[in-house]
Amino acid sequence: MQRAVEQRGIATVSISVARDVTEHCKPPRAVFVPFRMGHHFGVPFHAELQRRIIVEALGRIEEVEVSGDIYDLPITWAQARTEGRLIEQTMGLRPA
Amino acid sequence: MTAGSERRRQLRPGLWETVNERYPGAMISKTDTVPLARLDKPLADARLTFISSAGVQPKGTLPFDVVHPVGDYTFRRVPSDASPSDLEIHQLKYPTDGANRDLNVIFPIERLQALAADGLVGGLTSSFFSFIGYNMDVKRLEATLAEDIADAVVADHAEIALLAPA
Repeated sequence: MQRAVEQRGIATVSISVARDVTEHCKPPRAVFVPFRMGHHFGVPFHAELQRRIIVEALGRIEEVEVSGDIYDLPITWAQARTEGRLIEQTMGLRPA
Repeated sequence: MTAGSERRRQLRPGLWETVNERYPGAMISKTDTVPLARLDKPLADARLTFISSAGVQPKGTLPFDVVHPVGDYTFRRVPSDASPSDLEIHQLKYPTDGANRDLNVIFPIERLQALAADGLVGGLTSSFFSFIGYNMDVKRLEATLAEDIADAVVADHAEIALLAPA
């Protein structure tokens, strides 16, 4: 899919939670996040993290020089969950 | 384990091999790369589209056929100015517990709208594009759905594309 779009002359970048699948597919540019499936942009209500992942990914369009690049975003799932829990507590969605 | 290897460790390891062993040939494997398309303007001037295999679709549109044995090779347009409450998910192959509380964890439509409003990108295409990731016939996927979406993205005047293969 991503390769077909890139071949139309449109610069693309994808978010991956399965690095092995991405290595096999060889998209032009990818960002790997070590998150759960279905949670490519992080955890609920963590708008800052969701935005950061998108901004970092779009930055790869300007940075990457060689097709097939996979960038490992420096974050862990545990970190994302911890931050998400704090946000939900602040929002009153989860007891402190 | 070093911090670097922790970052590279996926939560469900061996996904490609596991699926390919159960459904031989259903997983894409390429030996080559495609040439990079070059963006000839700043990101702040570029029109962004979003392509998702998360099965997100506007309420009231024909639901994706999530139980077809070889998959559903159609796509839906999602208006880029939609609200999460306008949308629903038809997909079986990934956990939706996060998305059911905040759709942005898999389909970050509000974040993309904010990026455009803040001028980090030059705007959004009128539609985003959505399909389901469970498609077992790779050749058919590449020959039909991938080409159909690529054509639609071009017709919608996209200049850059963000993809989230769920």
